[in-house]
Amino acid sequence: MGITRRRFLGYTAGVVTAGLRGLPLDPTSRRYVLLDLHERGCFRESVSGYESALTSAQAQWMRADGRWMSPSRCAVLIVPAALEIPPPVVRVIVSCLRAGAGVIFESGAGFATDREFRAHRVVLRDYLQVHIEEPVELWPENSSQRIPYVDYTWPRSAKVRDFSRVVPLRRQEGEGEVIAWVDGLPVALKRPGGRGNLIFLGSPLGPALWAGDAQARRWLLDCLRTAGAERA
Amino acid sequence: MKKAIGDNMIPKEWGFEKGLELVKQAGFDGIELWLGDVPWFQMGTPDSEVWELRRKVENAGLVVSNVSTGLHWASPLSARDPKVRAQAVRIVEREIETAMLLGTDAILLVAGLVTPEVPYNEVYQRCLEALRPLGEKAARSGVRIGCENCNAEQRFLISPREFWQFLNDVNSPAVGIHLDVGNIHDTGFAEQWIEIHGPRITRIHVKDVMTKRGRCGDQSVYTNLFLGDNNWPAIRGAMTKVGYDGWLVAEMEARYRYAPDQQFYDTARAMDRLISGRF
Repeated sequence: MGITRRRFLGYTAGVVTAGLRGLPLDPTSRRYVLLDLHERGCFRESVSGYESALTSAQAQWMRADGRWMSPSRCAVLIVPAALEIPPPVVRVIVSCLRAGAGVIFESGAGFATDREFRAHRVVLRDYLQVHIEEPVELWPENSSQRIPYVDYTWPRSAKVRDFSRVVPLRRQEGEGEVIAWVDGLPVALKRPGGRGNLIFLGSPLGPALWAGDAQARRWLLDCLRTAGAERA
Repeated sequence: MKKAIGDNMIPKEWGFEKGLELVKQAGFDGIELWLGDVPWFQMGTPDSEVWELRRKVENAGLVVSNVSTGLHWASPLSARDPKVRAQAVRIVEREIETAMLLGTDAILLVAGLVTPEVPYNEVYQRCLEALRPLGEKAARSGVRIGCENCNAEQRFLISPREFWQFLNDVNSPAVGIHLDVGNIHDTGFAEQWIEIHGPRITRIHVKDVMTKRGRCGDQSVYTNLFLGDNNWPAIRGAMTKVGYDGWLVAEMEARYRYAPDQQFYDTARAMDRLISGRF
Protein backbone atom coordinates (compact mmCIF):
# COMPACT_ATOMS: atom_id res chain seq x y z
CA MET A 1 0.00 0.00 0.00
CA GLY A 2 1.49 3.33 -0.96
CA ILE A 3 1.41 6.41 1.20
CA THR A 4 1.93 9.98 0.16
CA ARG A 5 4.45 12.24 1.81
CA ARG A 6 1.69 14.59 2.88
CA ARG A 7 -0.30 11.80 4.51
CA PHE A 8 2.82 10.49 6.24
CA LEU A 9 3.57 13.92 7.68
CA GLY A 10 -0.04 14.23 8.74
CA TYR A 11 0.13 10.97 10.65
CA THR A 12 3.40 11.80 12.37
CA ALA A 13 2.21 15.28 13.33
CA GLY A 14 -0.94 13.70 14.71
CA VAL A 15 0.99 11.24 16.79
CA VAL A 16 3.15 13.99 18.22
CA THR A 17 0.13 16.16 19.01
CA ALA A 18 -1.73 13.28 20.56
CA GLY A 19 1.26 12.40 22.65
CA LEU A 20 1.52 15.94 23.92
CA ARG A 21 -2.11 15.96 24.96
CA GLY A 22 -1.94 12.49 26.42
CA LEU A 23 -4.77 11.32 24.22
CA PRO A 24 -4.97 9.45 20.94
CA LEU A 25 -5.50 11.63 17.90
CA ASP A 26 -8.46 9.79 16.52
CA PRO A 27 -11.49 11.25 18.25
CA THR A 28 -13.39 8.01 17.92
CA SER A 29 -10.88 6.40 20.24
CA ARG A 30 -11.89 8.78 23.00
CA ARG A 31 -14.68 7.57 25.08
CA TYR A 32 -18.29 8.27 24.50
CA VAL A 33 -19.84 8.94 27.85
CA LEU A 34 -23.42 8.03 28.65
CA LEU A 35 -24.60 10.12 31.55
CA ASP A 36 -27.19 8.14 33.44
CA LEU A 37 -29.47 10.45 35.39
CA HIS A 38 -31.24 7.51 37.05
CA GLU A 39 -34.48 8.74 38.62
CA ARG A 40 -33.84 12.25 37.28
CA GLY A 41 -34.23 10.92 33.77
CA CYS A 42 -37.55 10.11 32.29
CA PHE A 43 -37.23 6.87 30.34
CA ARG A 44 -35.00 3.99 31.37
CA GLU A 45 -35.54 2.56 27.89
CA SER A 46 -33.79 5.59 26.44
CA VAL A 47 -30.66 4.82 28.45
CA SER A 48 -30.94 1.18 27.36
CA GLY A 49 -31.32 2.30 23.74
CA TYR A 50 -28.09 4.32 23.74
CA GLU A 51 -26.28 1.55 25.60
CA SER A 52 -27.39 -1.00 23.08
CA ALA A 53 -26.49 1.20 20.08
CA LEU A 54 -23.03 2.01 21.45
CA THR A 55 -22.32 -1.59 22.33
CA SER A 56 -23.44 -2.98 19.01
CA ALA A 57 -21.29 -0.38 17.23
CA GLN A 58 -18.33 -1.58 19.33
CA ALA A 59 -17.70 2.00 20.38
CA GLN A 60 -15.50 2.82 23.33
CA TRP A 61 -17.96 4.12 25.83
CA MET A 62 -18.59 4.32 29.51
CA ARG A 63 -21.55 4.99 31.73
CA ALA A 64 -21.25 7.80 34.21
CA ASP A 65 -23.43 9.61 36.69
CA GLY A 66 -23.71 13.28 37.63
CA ARG A 67 -20.53 13.15 39.74
CA TRP A 68 -18.36 12.20 36.82
CA MET A 69 -15.91 14.91 35.75
CA SER A 70 -13.26 14.05 33.15
CA PRO A 71 -14.28 16.18 30.18
CA SER A 72 -10.90 15.98 28.51
CA ARG A 73 -11.40 12.23 28.06
CA CYS A 74 -14.79 12.67 26.47
CA ALA A 75 -15.46 12.70 22.74
CA VAL A 76 -19.23 12.96 23.04
CA LEU A 77 -21.36 13.17 26.14
CA ILE A 78 -24.85 11.70 25.81
CA VAL A 79 -27.52 12.78 28.27
CA PRO A 80 -30.58 10.57 27.64
CA ALA A 81 -34.16 11.48 28.52
CA ALA A 82 -33.19 14.30 30.83
CA LEU A 83 -35.91 15.69 33.00
CA GLU A 84 -34.49 17.16 36.18
CA ILE A 85 -31.06 18.69 35.50
CA PRO A 86 -29.27 19.25 38.80
CA PRO A 87 -26.28 21.63 39.07
CA PRO A 88 -23.61 18.87 38.96
CA VAL A 89 -25.04 17.66 35.66
CA VAL A 90 -25.08 21.19 34.27
CA ARG A 91 -21.43 21.49 35.28
CA VAL A 92 -20.55 18.25 33.50
CA ILE A 93 -22.30 19.37 30.32
CA VAL A 94 -20.73 22.82 30.32
CA SER A 95 -17.27 21.42 31.10
CA CYS A 96 -17.50 18.95 28.25
CA LEU A 97 -18.51 21.68 25.83
CA ARG A 98 -15.68 23.90 27.02
CA ALA A 99 -13.25 21.03 26.58
CA GLY A 100 -14.42 20.66 23.01
CA ALA A 101 -16.61 17.58 23.30
CA GLY A 102 -19.92 17.06 21.57
CA VAL A 103 -22.93 16.87 23.85
CA ILE A 104 -26.14 15.13 22.82
CA PHE A 105 -28.81 16.33 25.19
CA GLU A 106 -32.09 14.43 24.87
CA SER A 107 -35.00 16.12 26.58
CA GLY A 108 -37.44 13.89 28.41
CA ALA A 109 -39.67 16.81 29.27
CA GLY A 110 -42.45 15.82 26.90
CA PHE A 111 -43.99 13.79 29.69
CA ALA A 112 -43.10 16.18 32.48
CA THR A 113 -45.53 17.80 34.88
CA ASP A 114 -45.92 21.58 34.56
CA ARG A 115 -43.60 22.18 37.48
CA GLU A 116 -40.94 19.81 36.16
CA PHE A 117 -41.15 21.36 32.72
CA ARG A 118 -40.74 24.91 34.01
CA ALA A 119 -37.58 23.95 35.90
CA HIS A 120 -36.26 22.07 32.85
CA ARG A 121 -36.86 25.07 30.61
CA VAL A 122 -35.09 27.48 32.95
CA VAL A 123 -31.95 25.33 33.12
CA LEU A 124 -31.82 24.93 29.35
CA ARG A 125 -32.28 28.66 28.83
CA ASP A 126 -29.86 29.89 31.51
CA TYR A 127 -27.04 27.41 31.15
CA LEU A 128 -27.22 26.04 27.63
CA GLN A 129 -28.95 28.94 25.87
CA VAL A 130 -31.53 26.62 24.36
CA HIS A 131 -35.04 28.06 24.25
CA ILE A 132 -37.93 25.63 24.19
CA GLU A 133 -41.70 25.73 23.96
CA GLU A 134 -44.16 23.75 26.04
CA PRO A 135 -44.52 20.07 25.11
CA VAL A 136 -46.79 19.27 22.20
CA GLU A 137 -48.97 16.16 22.06
CA LEU A 138 -48.55 14.73 18.55
CA TRP A 139 -51.31 12.17 18.87
CA PRO A 140 -54.51 13.79 20.05
CA GLU A 141 -57.63 11.62 19.92
CA ASN A 142 -58.51 10.19 16.50
CA SER A 143 -55.33 11.36 14.84
CA SER A 144 -54.34 7.98 13.47
CA GLN A 145 -53.75 9.34 9.96
CA ARG A 146 -50.69 11.45 10.73
CA ILE A 147 -47.20 10.53 9.57
CA PRO A 148 -45.45 9.25 12.68
CA TYR A 149 -41.89 10.32 11.88
CA VAL A 150 -39.39 12.91 12.93
CA ASP A 151 -37.34 14.02 9.93
CA TYR A 152 -33.68 14.59 10.71
CA THR A 153 -31.61 16.58 8.25
CA TRP A 154 -28.18 16.46 9.92
CA PRO A 155 -25.70 14.73 10.02
CA ARG A 156 -27.66 12.53 7.65
CA SER A 157 -31.27 12.48 6.71
CA ALA A 158 -33.28 9.97 8.69
CA LYS A 159 -36.86 9.21 9.55
CA VAL A 160 -37.28 8.10 13.13
CA ARG A 161 -40.52 7.33 14.93
CA ASP A 162 -41.82 10.16 17.03
CA PHE A 163 -42.37 9.51 20.72
CA SER A 164 -45.89 10.91 21.08
CA ARG A 165 -44.84 14.19 22.65
CA VAL A 166 -42.15 16.64 21.66
CA VAL A 167 -40.51 19.67 23.16
CA PRO A 168 -40.31 22.10 20.24
CA LEU A 169 -37.70 24.76 19.92
CA ARG A 170 -38.45 28.41 20.25
CA ARG A 171 -36.62 30.85 17.95
CA GLN A 172 -33.04 30.76 19.13
CA GLU A 173 -30.77 33.66 19.76
CA GLY A 174 -27.28 33.43 18.24
CA GLU A 175 -25.90 30.56 16.25
CA GLY A 176 -27.68 27.30 15.76
CA GLU A 177 -29.16 25.08 13.12
CA VAL A 178 -32.44 23.22 13.33
CA ILE A 179 -31.71 19.62 12.40
CA ALA A 180 -35.06 17.87 12.79
CA TRP A 181 -38.72 18.58 12.23
CA VAL A 182 -41.98 16.89 12.99
CA ASP A 183 -45.39 18.16 11.89
CA GLY A 184 -43.73 21.44 10.96
CA LEU A 185 -42.24 21.87 14.43
CA PRO A 186 -38.49 22.31 14.92
CA VAL A 187 -37.48 19.66 17.44
CA ALA A 188 -33.71 19.30 17.29
CA LEU A 189 -30.88 21.79 17.23
CA LYS A 190 -27.15 21.82 16.64
CA ARG A 191 -25.22 24.75 17.96
CA PRO A 192 -21.67 25.54 18.96
CA GLY A 193 -21.05 25.63 22.67
CA GLY A 194 -17.66 26.37 24.18
CA ARG A 195 -15.21 24.59 21.90
CA GLY A 196 -17.64 21.81 21.25
CA ASN A 197 -21.11 21.25 19.83
CA LEU A 198 -24.41 20.90 21.57
CA ILE A 199 -27.04 18.69 19.95
CA PHE A 200 -30.43 19.21 21.55
CA LEU A 201 -33.09 16.57 20.89
CA GLY A 202 -36.65 17.60 21.73
CA SER A 203 -38.00 14.26 20.57
CA PRO A 204 -36.45 11.27 22.36
CA LEU A 205 -34.30 9.12 20.11
CA GLY A 206 -33.34 6.56 22.77
CA PRO A 207 -36.60 4.59 22.69
CA ALA A 208 -36.26 4.13 18.92
CA LEU A 209 -32.71 2.84 19.45
CA TRP A 210 -34.02 0.54 22.15
CA ALA A 211 -36.74 -0.74 19.83
CA GLY A 212 -34.10 -1.58 17.23
CA ASP A 213 -34.68 1.15 14.63
CA ALA A 214 -31.71 0.74 12.26
CA GLN A 215 -32.06 4.22 10.81
CA ALA A 216 -32.01 5.76 14.29
CA ARG A 217 -28.82 3.84 15.02
CA ARG A 218 -27.15 5.00 11.84
CA TRP A 219 -28.16 8.56 12.63
CA LEU A 220 -26.67 8.31 16.11
CA LEU A 221 -23.41 6.82 14.92
CA ASP A 222 -23.00 9.54 12.30
CA CYS A 223 -23.85 12.10 14.92
CA LEU A 224 -21.24 10.68 17.29
CA ARG A 225 -18.60 10.68 14.58
CA THR A 226 -19.43 14.18 13.43
CA ALA A 227 -20.02 15.81 16.79
CA GLY A 228 -16.84 14.27 18.14
CA ALA A 229 -14.81 15.22 15.08
CA GLU A 230 -16.03 18.80 14.87
CA ARG A 231 -14.05 19.76 17.92
CA ALA A 232 -12.43 23.12 17.85
CA MET B 1 -62.57 -29.53 34.16
CA LYS B 2 -64.50 -26.85 36.01
CA LYS B 3 -66.60 -24.06 34.67
CA ALA B 4 -66.83 -20.43 35.68
CA ILE B 5 -68.31 -17.20 34.42
CA GLY B 6 -67.28 -13.59 34.88
CA ASP B 7 -68.92 -11.37 37.47
CA ASN B 8 -69.06 -8.67 34.80
CA MET B 9 -71.82 -10.75 33.19
CA ILE B 10 -74.05 -10.22 36.21
CA PRO B 11 -76.79 -7.73 35.35
CA LYS B 12 -75.68 -4.50 36.97
CA GLU B 13 -78.94 -3.97 38.86
CA TRP B 14 -78.66 -7.40 40.47
CA GLY B 15 -75.66 -6.79 42.70
CA PHE B 16 -72.95 -9.23 43.68
CA GLU B 17 -74.79 -11.51 46.10
CA LYS B 18 -77.84 -12.04 43.92
CA GLY B 19 -75.49 -12.59 41.01
CA LEU B 20 -73.61 -15.28 42.91
CA GLU B 21 -76.89 -17.09 43.59
CA LEU B 22 -77.61 -17.06 39.87
CA VAL B 23 -74.15 -18.34 39.00
CA LYS B 24 -74.52 -21.19 41.46
CA GLN B 25 -78.06 -22.07 40.40
CA ALA B 26 -77.03 -22.09 36.76
CA GLY B 27 -74.52 -24.81 37.61
CA PHE B 28 -71.15 -23.08 37.58
CA ASP B 29 -68.37 -24.11 39.93
CA GLY B 30 -66.68 -20.77 40.16
CA ILE B 31 -66.65 -17.11 39.30
CA GLU B 32 -64.07 -14.94 37.59
CA LEU B 33 -63.71 -11.57 39.33
CA TRP B 34 -63.03 -8.57 37.12
CA LEU B 35 -60.92 -5.94 38.85
CA GLY B 36 -62.13 -2.49 37.88
CA ASP B 37 -65.05 -3.64 35.77
CA VAL B 38 -67.66 -4.06 38.51
CA PRO B 39 -68.56 -1.73 41.38
CA TRP B 40 -67.76 -4.27 44.09
CA PHE B 41 -64.15 -4.88 42.98
CA GLN B 42 -62.13 -1.79 42.22
CA MET B 43 -58.47 -0.80 42.55
CA GLY B 44 -59.41 1.06 45.72
CA THR B 45 -61.28 -1.85 47.27
CA PRO B 46 -59.41 -2.53 50.53
CA ASP B 47 -58.13 -5.97 51.49
CA SER B 48 -60.84 -6.34 54.12
CA GLU B 49 -63.54 -5.94 51.47
CA VAL B 50 -61.75 -8.32 49.13
CA TRP B 51 -61.84 -10.87 51.94
CA GLU B 52 -65.55 -10.18 52.24
CA LEU B 53 -65.99 -10.89 48.54
CA ARG B 54 -64.28 -14.23 49.03
CA ARG B 55 -66.53 -15.01 51.97
CA LYS B 56 -69.60 -14.25 49.87
CA VAL B 57 -68.34 -16.41 47.00
CA GLU B 58 -67.67 -19.34 49.31
CA ASN B 59 -70.98 -18.89 51.11
CA ALA B 60 -72.66 -19.23 47.72
CA GLY B 61 -70.93 -22.59 47.25
CA LEU B 62 -68.49 -21.26 44.65
CA VAL B 63 -64.79 -20.49 44.41
CA VAL B 64 -62.92 -17.75 42.57
CA SER B 65 -61.56 -19.21 39.36
CA ASN B 66 -59.21 -16.29 38.62
CA VAL B 67 -58.84 -12.53 38.71
CA SER B 68 -59.12 -10.61 35.46
CA THR B 69 -59.10 -7.00 34.45
CA GLY B 70 -59.90 -4.78 31.53
CA LEU B 71 -58.05 -1.85 33.05
CA HIS B 72 -55.04 -2.40 30.84
CA TRP B 73 -56.95 -1.22 27.79
CA ALA B 74 -56.73 2.31 29.20
CA SER B 75 -53.43 1.85 31.05
CA PRO B 76 -51.33 -0.62 29.07
CA LEU B 77 -47.95 -1.98 30.08
CA SER B 78 -46.79 -0.81 26.67
CA ALA B 79 -47.63 2.87 27.20
CA ARG B 80 -44.91 5.36 26.40
CA ASP B 81 -45.75 7.56 29.34
CA PRO B 82 -43.83 6.15 32.34
CA LYS B 83 -46.62 7.26 34.68
CA VAL B 84 -49.21 5.24 32.76
CA ARG B 85 -46.84 2.27 32.72
CA ALA B 86 -46.36 2.52 36.46
CA GLN B 87 -50.12 2.44 36.89
CA ALA B 88 -50.32 -0.61 34.60
CA VAL B 89 -47.75 -2.41 36.74
CA ARG B 90 -49.67 -1.45 39.87
CA ILE B 91 -52.81 -2.98 38.37
CA VAL B 92 -51.01 -6.30 37.83
CA GLU B 93 -49.59 -6.19 41.33
CA ARG B 94 -53.06 -5.59 42.74
CA GLU B 95 -54.38 -8.50 40.72
CA ILE B 96 -51.68 -10.70 42.24
CA GLU B 97 -52.41 -9.46 45.75
CA THR B 98 -56.14 -9.95 45.40
CA ALA B 99 -55.70 -13.37 43.77
CA MET B 100 -53.90 -14.44 46.93
CA LEU B 101 -56.64 -12.98 49.12
CA LEU B 102 -59.32 -14.65 47.03
CA GLY B 103 -57.65 -18.04 47.08
CA THR B 104 -56.95 -18.39 43.38
CA ASP B 105 -53.69 -18.90 41.51
CA ALA B 106 -54.29 -17.15 38.19
CA ILE B 107 -54.70 -13.65 36.88
CA LEU B 108 -55.41 -12.31 33.41
CA LEU B 109 -53.91 -9.31 31.75
CA VAL B 110 -53.90 -7.76 28.33
CA ALA B 111 -50.17 -7.53 27.81
CA GLY B 112 -49.74 -4.74 25.32
CA LEU B 113 -51.50 -2.60 22.84
CA VAL B 114 -50.15 -1.82 19.38
CA THR B 115 -51.60 1.41 18.02
CA PRO B 116 -50.82 3.78 15.17
CA GLU B 117 -48.93 5.78 17.79
CA VAL B 118 -47.07 3.05 19.68
CA PRO B 119 -45.46 0.59 17.24
CA TYR B 120 -45.09 -3.14 17.56
CA ASN B 121 -41.38 -3.32 18.39
CA GLU B 122 -41.75 -0.89 21.26
CA VAL B 123 -44.77 -2.75 22.61
CA TYR B 124 -42.92 -6.05 22.46
CA GLN B 125 -39.86 -4.75 24.28
CA ARG B 126 -41.84 -2.85 26.88
CA CYS B 127 -44.03 -5.84 27.67
CA LEU B 128 -40.99 -8.06 28.11
CA GLU B 129 -39.38 -5.59 30.46
CA ALA B 130 -42.56 -5.25 32.50
CA LEU B 131 -43.41 -8.93 32.63
CA ARG B 132 -40.03 -10.26 33.72
CA PRO B 133 -40.13 -8.67 37.20
CA LEU B 134 -43.88 -9.18 37.45
CA GLY B 135 -43.32 -12.86 36.69
CA GLU B 136 -40.88 -13.06 39.58
CA LYS B 137 -43.38 -11.39 41.87
CA ALA B 138 -46.14 -13.72 40.71
CA ALA B 139 -43.93 -16.77 41.24
CA ARG B 140 -43.15 -15.68 44.78
CA SER B 141 -46.87 -15.29 45.38
CA GLY B 142 -47.81 -18.65 43.91
CA VAL B 143 -49.82 -17.00 41.14
CA ARG B 144 -49.56 -17.40 37.37
CA ILE B 145 -50.01 -14.50 35.02
CA GLY B 146 -52.03 -15.35 31.93
CA CYS B 147 -51.52 -12.93 29.06
CA GLU B 148 -54.72 -12.99 27.07
CA ASN B 149 -54.66 -13.37 23.30
CA CYS B 150 -56.75 -10.39 22.26
CA ASN B 151 -55.48 -10.78 18.74
CA ALA B 152 -57.44 -8.23 16.77
CA GLU B 153 -58.02 -5.68 19.46
CA GLN B 154 -54.37 -5.66 20.59
CA ARG B 155 -52.84 -6.06 17.09
CA PHE B 156 -50.16 -7.86 19.06
CA LEU B 157 -48.97 -11.48 19.14
CA ILE B 158 -51.35 -12.40 16.38
CA SER B 159 -50.15 -15.94 15.71
CA PRO B 160 -49.58 -18.81 18.15
CA ARG B 161 -45.90 -19.14 17.25
CA GLU B 162 -45.39 -15.44 17.85
CA PHE B 163 -47.06 -15.75 21.24
CA TRP B 164 -44.90 -18.77 21.99
CA GLN B 165 -41.75 -16.82 21.17
CA PHE B 166 -42.93 -13.96 23.37
CA LEU B 167 -43.40 -16.31 26.33
CA ASN B 168 -39.97 -17.80 25.65
CA ASP B 169 -38.51 -14.30 25.77
CA VAL B 170 -40.29 -13.52 29.04
CA ASN B 171 -38.85 -16.80 30.25
CA SER B 172 -40.81 -17.16 33.46
CA PRO B 173 -42.76 -20.26 34.46
CA ALA B 174 -45.19 -17.91 36.18
CA VAL B 175 -46.13 -16.19 32.92
CA GLY B 176 -48.31 -18.07 30.46
CA ILE B 177 -51.30 -17.56 28.24
CA HIS B 178 -54.91 -17.03 29.20
CA LEU B 179 -56.27 -18.44 26.00
CA ASP B 180 -59.50 -17.07 24.59
CA VAL B 181 -60.84 -19.44 21.96
CA GLY B 182 -63.19 -16.78 20.62
CA ASN B 183 -60.54 -14.14 19.99
CA ILE B 184 -58.70 -15.96 17.25
CA HIS B 185 -61.44 -15.33 14.73
CA ASP B 186 -60.20 -15.82 11.17
CA THR B 187 -56.49 -15.47 11.96
CA GLY B 188 -56.17 -19.13 12.92
CA PHE B 189 -57.73 -22.03 14.74
CA ALA B 190 -58.24 -22.24 18.48
CA GLU B 191 -57.42 -25.93 18.64
CA GLN B 192 -53.96 -25.23 17.19
CA TRP B 193 -53.31 -22.54 19.79
CA ILE B 194 -54.25 -25.03 22.53
CA GLU B 195 -51.93 -27.65 21.11
CA ILE B 196 -49.00 -25.25 20.78
CA HIS B 197 -49.31 -23.70 24.22
CA GLY B 198 -50.43 -26.73 26.23
CA PRO B 199 -48.96 -26.47 29.73
CA ARG B 200 -48.52 -22.73 29.43
CA ILE B 201 -52.30 -22.22 29.38
CA THR B 202 -53.40 -20.72 32.69
CA ARG B 203 -57.14 -20.51 31.97
CA ILE B 204 -59.38 -20.78 28.91
CA HIS B 205 -62.03 -18.22 28.03
CA VAL B 206 -64.85 -19.65 26.00
CA LYS B 207 -67.16 -17.91 23.57
CA ASP B 208 -68.02 -18.51 19.97
CA VAL B 209 -67.12 -16.37 17.01
CA MET B 210 -68.64 -15.66 13.63
CA THR B 211 -65.66 -15.69 11.31
CA LYS B 212 -67.73 -14.72 8.27
CA ARG B 213 -68.69 -11.47 9.91
CA GLY B 214 -65.95 -8.97 9.16
CA ARG B 215 -64.38 -7.13 12.04
CA CYS B 216 -64.77 -3.80 10.29
CA GLY B 217 -68.54 -3.71 10.55
CA ASP B 218 -70.52 -2.40 13.48
CA GLN B 219 -71.84 -5.83 14.44
CA SER B 220 -70.08 -7.93 17.04
CA VAL B 221 -68.28 -11.02 15.81
CA TYR B 222 -68.85 -12.80 19.11
CA THR B 223 -71.74 -15.01 20.07
CA ASN B 224 -72.78 -17.73 22.49
CA LEU B 225 -71.28 -21.21 22.46
CA PHE B 226 -72.19 -23.42 19.49
CA LEU B 227 -73.77 -20.55 17.54
CA GLY B 228 -70.60 -19.52 15.72
CA ASP B 229 -67.80 -21.03 13.66
CA ASN B 230 -65.44 -22.43 16.29
CA ASN B 231 -64.76 -26.13 15.75
CA TRP B 232 -65.78 -27.21 19.24
CA PRO B 233 -65.10 -30.95 18.84
CA ALA B 234 -61.56 -30.07 17.68
CA ILE B 235 -61.14 -27.64 20.57
CA ARG B 236 -62.27 -30.30 23.03
CA GLY B 237 -59.94 -32.82 21.38
CA ALA B 238 -56.99 -30.43 21.71
CA MET B 239 -57.72 -29.91 25.40
CA THR B 240 -57.62 -33.68 25.88
CA LYS B 241 -54.46 -34.01 23.83
CA VAL B 242 -52.54 -31.46 25.92
CA GLY B 243 -54.11 -32.66 29.17
CA TYR B 244 -55.84 -29.40 29.98
CA ASP B 245 -58.04 -30.04 32.97
CA GLY B 246 -58.33 -26.53 34.38
CA TRP B 247 -60.98 -23.86 34.39
CA LEU B 248 -63.15 -22.99 31.43
CA VAL B 249 -64.39 -19.46 31.93
CA ALA B 250 -67.37 -18.16 29.98
CA GLU B 251 -66.72 -14.69 28.62
CA MET B 252 -69.34 -13.52 26.22
CA GLU B 253 -71.33 -10.43 25.52
CA ALA B 254 -74.60 -10.08 27.41
CA ARG B 255 -76.90 -10.10 24.41
CA TYR B 256 -80.14 -11.50 25.79
CA ARG B 257 -82.72 -8.80 25.29
CA TYR B 258 -85.12 -10.45 27.73
CA ALA B 259 -84.50 -12.72 30.70
CA PRO B 260 -80.77 -12.00 30.94
CA ASP B 261 -80.34 -14.70 33.56
CA GLN B 262 -81.24 -17.28 30.91
CA GLN B 263 -77.83 -16.72 29.29
CA PHE B 264 -76.20 -18.11 32.45
CA TYR B 265 -78.26 -21.30 32.30
CA ASP B 266 -77.79 -21.77 28.57
CA THR B 267 -74.06 -21.15 28.83
CA ALA B 268 -73.60 -23.57 31.71
CA ARG B 269 -75.46 -26.32 29.79
CA ALA B 270 -73.39 -25.69 26.67
CA MET B 271 -70.19 -25.85 28.70
CA ASP B 272 -71.33 -29.16 30.20
CA ARG B 273 -71.71 -30.51 26.67
CA LEU B 274 -68.27 -29.17 25.75
CA ILE B 275 -66.64 -30.74 28.81
CA SER B 276 -68.35 -34.07 28.26
CA GLY B 277 -67.58 -33.97 24.55
CA ARG B 278 -71.18 -34.72 23.51
CA PHE B 279 -71.73 -32.80 20.31
